[in-house]
Amino acid sequence: MNSNRFVPLAAFSLALILAFAVPGRLAGQDNKTPYPSMAPLEQYLMHRDAEIALARSAAPESISHDATVLVLGRHGYEIAVEGKNGFVCAVERGWMSPADAPQFWNPNIRGSICFNPPAARSVLPVTYKRTEMVLAGRTKAEITDGNKTAFKRGELPALEPGAMSYMMSKEAYLTDDGDHNLAHLMFYTPPLDGKVWGADLPKSPVMLNPQFKGAQPIDVFIVPVGRWSDGTPAPVM
Amino acid sequence: MMNGKKFGAIGFLIFALVFPFAALPLSQGQDTHNRDKPGAYPEMSPLEHYLMDRNAEIALARSAAPEALSRDATILVLGRHGYETALAGKNSFVCVVERSWMLAFDDSEFWNPGVGLPLCQNPPAARSHLPLTFKTTELVLARRSRKQMFDSIKAAFDQKELPMPEHGSMCYMMSKQQNFGPKFGKADPHLMFWFPQPDHMAWGADMPDSPVDVHQYSPQPITEFTMSVAKWSDGTVAGANQR
Repeated sequence: MNSNRFVPLAAFSLALILAFAVPGRLAGQDNKTPYPSMAPLEQYLMHRDAEIALARSAAPESISHDATVLVLGRHGYEIAVEGKNGFVCAVERGWMSPADAPQFWNPNIRGSICFNPPAARSVLPVTYKRTEMVLAGRTKAEITDGNKTAFKRGELPALEPGAMSYMMSKEAYLTDDGDHNLAHLMFYTPPLDGKVWGADLPKSPVMLNPQFKGAQPIDVFIVPVGRWSDGTPAPVM
Repeated sequence: MMNGKKFGAIGFLIFALVFPFAALPLSQGQDTHNRDKPGAYPEMSPLEHYLMDRNAEIALARSAAPEALSRDATILVLGRHGYETALAGKNSFVCVVERSWMLAFDDSEFWNPGVGLPLCQNPPAARSHLPLTFKTTELVLARRSRKQMFDSIKAAFDQKELPMPEHGSMCYMMSKQQNFGPKFGKADPHLMFWFPQPDHMAWGADMPDSPVDVHQYSPQPITEFTMSVAKWSDGTVAGANQR
């Protein structure tokens, strides 16, 4: 861990995103996860209109207004609103974290996200696949293995160039820690050494997120932004 | 190179305060009065006006990225015959101060010797995008006109003498001393990402409240995304024009 980054940031620790988006950095800090297994499905579900609004809040309204919006139902994600700009907004749950993330089964996690068109075609299917396995009662290990196997079999598409997503919702809940949230963008690449983007160095705005570690050959780079999707200032880290 | 239209009125006001200082590292012997006037340089100035003190240029180039990254980067400086390696690095990043001629060919500040654009390119960009800087600078030093430069760059891409951006090409532009000229001043700290233009894709760029801008500078077959970040390379908060 890059300790320099954290010293002045106690009030807005990276911990807030680590549990959901960058779990690797915190994994060693808490071996006793408070969420050892899946909670009753109802705890992960939301009121439909609230979920639509939360999903849309991931990106500026100028983008999410015309996006397709998904909501999580008892049988998986379903389209609540048909869009027309190729973006797809959804609220991801804790199981989109790596298997070793302490909050993988945290029913409070609400990861609002808007995928751009390349990501909607090539990254979002992973969300569908993992959610399908969750709803089928699979364990974390089975989900990771199932993700890996599905990719190897060609059931999941190859990553498209330029895949990225917005996570700028002020209302998202990414972790139990800190302020629970962080306004950021995510960029998806084939596996790169994090050093290639200067990730995780002191004062670098780039962080490598091992979201798909062990499951699929996708690297995720996180870059925080200074504003929430509604244009109001976000805490600076 | 970004056009900076994101910065708008706030950026312009900030420029009014910082530009006289931001411009100092470049062309110190030159009349600085004209630099405050948009489009004050319709033609190339004497080469000396674009050159810098070597140590100052090294420091300015390094300031494009956090010190943890730039201290191990290769540093280039502009000499009378083109860019040359001032310091050999070991992390495969390359930091350089680009001059005004890396702005768009139709940019009013194209020949403004006060423009200084420090950036640190990551390894894929250093391999695949930095050659464009070398080529453009070579044409400048050969005293080609903008039209001749445009044609030469286009031909170089058409004939594949200039490479397309490698996957993962990006750079840091986080120097507090960067200067885009009278209109945008030092603008925001930001990252830039390059893609082959045929891969032009929707990033939600240039939309209201989006932190992403997109640029496509003819004749380069390249799509450039810029993304504002919250802090300068020294860790200080960027300020009011950050978004």
